[in-house]
Amino acid sequence: MHWIALQPTLDVEAQAPLADAFTAWAWWALQFTPLVARLETALVLEISTSERLFGGRATLLGKLLNPDFLEQNQPSALMKYAQGATSLIAFGRLLCDTELTVDVLPLRTLVAARPHLPTLARLGLRNWGQLRAMPRGGLVRRFGTGLVDAMDRAYGSSPEVYPWLSLPEVFDAPLELTSSVETAAAMLFGARRLLTQLQVWLRARQQGVLALELVWELDARRSNALHVDAHHRGGGQGRLELRTAQATQDVAHLARLLAEQLAQVSLPAPVLNLRLRSLQTLPVAGESGSLLPDDVRQGDSLHQLIERLGARLGPAQVRCVTHHADHRPERMQSWCAAAGPLQTAPSPGSKNAIKNRAINAYFTRATGQFYSQGSPDWALYPSWLLATPLRLKVVQGTPFYQGRLTLLTGPQRLEAGWLEGDTGCAMRDYYMARSASVGLVWVYRERLGHQACWYLHGLYG
Amino acid sequence: MPSITDPIFWTGVHPAVWQADALAGTSGRVLATGDQRLDAELPGGGWPLGALSEILQPTGVHSEWRLLLPALARSGTGAVVLVGAPQVPFGPALFAQGLTPGRLLWITAQLGAQRLWAAEQALRCADVDAVLAWLVQVRPEQLRRLQIAAAEYAKLLFVVRPEQAQHESSPAALRLWIGPVNDPPDALEVRPFKRRGPPLDQPLHLSARSAQLRRLLAASQPGFGHALDCTAAHA
Repeated sequence: MHWIALQPTLDVEAQAPLADAFTAWAWWALQFTPLVARLETALVLEISTSERLFGGRATLLGKLLNPDFLEQNQPSALMKYAQGATSLIAFGRLLCDTELTVDVLPLRTLVAARPHLPTLARLGLRNWGQLRAMPRGGLVRRFGTGLVDAMDRAYGSSPEVYPWLSLPEVFDAPLELTSSVETAAAMLFGARRLLTQLQVWLRARQQGVLALELVWELDARRSNALHVDAHHRGGGQGRLELRTAQATQDVAHLARLLAEQLAQVSLPAPVLNLRLRSLQTLPVAGESGSLLPDDVRQGDSLHQLIERLGARLGPAQVRCVTHHADHRPERMQSWCAAAGPLQTAPSPGSKNAIKNRAINAYFTRATGQFYSQGSPDWALYPSWLLATPLRLKVVQGTPFYQGRLTLLTGPQRLEAGWLEGDTGCAMRDYYMARSASVGLVWVYRERLGHQACWYLHGLYG
Repeated sequence: MPSITDPIFWTGVHPAVWQADALAGTSGRVLATGDQRLDAELPGGGWPLGALSEILQPTGVHSEWRLLLPALARSGTGAVVLVGAPQVPFGPALFAQGLTPGRLLWITAQLGAQRLWAAEQALRCADVDAVLAWLVQVRPEQLRRLQIAAAEYAKLLFVVRPEQAQHESSPAALRLWIGPVNDPPDALEVRPFKRRGPPLDQPLHLSARSAQLRRLLAASQPGFGHALDCTAAHA
């Protein structure tokens, strides 16, 4: 057994992401060992079972003392720590600030001995060794069993049992801002601190977050009853919900999404309190690293890109294509918001096969099968389609588009959608035509009306 | 002792140094364009990865797919991001020429600043292979920003602009003018007016059609009967 006692100093209190720096430290420590307990003002944790996993005692200690939620990395100034074979020894050394041998630790460092200190002093007992040399029977009669039990635990002859600390099931952390915040963008600074704490929680629980909400309390001195918008319900609270397509622990990405969302929030009153709550989480597997440096491409992942673009431009502005089995060109595909997954042909056996699998998770659509064969006719389609067919001017039976069009091939007859009535019914003759100024174009003649109507529907370019 | 005009004198010097009457080699990677004649005219023999290539074309002409599709089809399996495409890209036609439409991500932002921002974000994404941006009014320093992002992440970056931008300065490593010409018929004229190498005397004429389309057009000439019958016979 090897125990470490940690005590955050006052500087940490100011820096830690939570009002309660102690919780922050406990969560941080829970990544490294499940045996973390609180002892008065210190944390005690047992590391002998997990130190090998983290690369040895010294490495583990280094990680433990350098949490990434602190802005400055000077553990010696921020943290006090001591080690020992039992938690009470470690705690005793922490209080003495020196690495004393066990027997000479002063009795005041033993919590159970504190009520009896004057009596013990008059008996001439000043350190642990002297107390342990006393007969047990006499000690029990005089001081009760508490002191003897504590001595047993301190020397390791009886097991140490604590109310072990554990992580809550749901992340829910409040933060009181140091000064009232007038603009939504400024709330981001507070929210970042909460997000770093969220990351600690996620890592310790090996979860990734899918949805979270940021709630802020509005200053009650102003009446906010009339302010109703997407984020405010007219009460004293505002709320913002953040969702991501893939469970993530990447706080930098969440912070960027939050920044984009907060930029669109207008606050009716100053904000003093923030609260961040996780709504939905999923277990995530760790990322497997690559041995070969070539495989690793730097940059964000695709879903992060899609979400970031969607957050600023609006989700409908970022589109991917879905395909439908239809003969009408405008119904053969639909471009819709790329919130969901996309599809690309996997290339098994390629060097980046693993990476591609991750991408392919995105590029997946049910209709992807439709593409697997294709059709020989598709090579004859234009690469650009007009969103709405352009009615062409007709002079003496010949369509005009930036000059006279010369019909090259056709007609290719299309009759489809007659079940859908007038709106969907298409009876068209498609022609390929040449324009002197823009090259090949794709035009059709509507066969429904009495007179021939010509439309431009595609550009070959 | 070799003289300065001796071509051997330059061999082994840094690839960024080249003699102005020869095409530059390139230090970065390139991706073949799919057309040997065009490859021969581009420094390094293809589209540069990690550098901005600018394509200028007359108003109403949208020939960029013809020029870029063969390269895009072979660029990998990552996403191809279209920022502000002028018309709707037609998936089946692109698929027939080798580009899986599922790779496409179309960003329909209207404002120039939004397009620039989106293009830059896309360049920073690891799963993106190529970025095509249609920009109308853009300042050289904004293009430089894109150029730097492309260089940092070694992505294919094409910026498509109207031909009026020909006389503006640009940080692009490669600038091409493309447009349809009728002599020879159905040709696409490609004029690289800025490249690391000497000016091109004769503009390049590529066939503006894919092979199948050419066959159909040839079959539709008088004397061949009905066009669709002929393609059916070929298939």
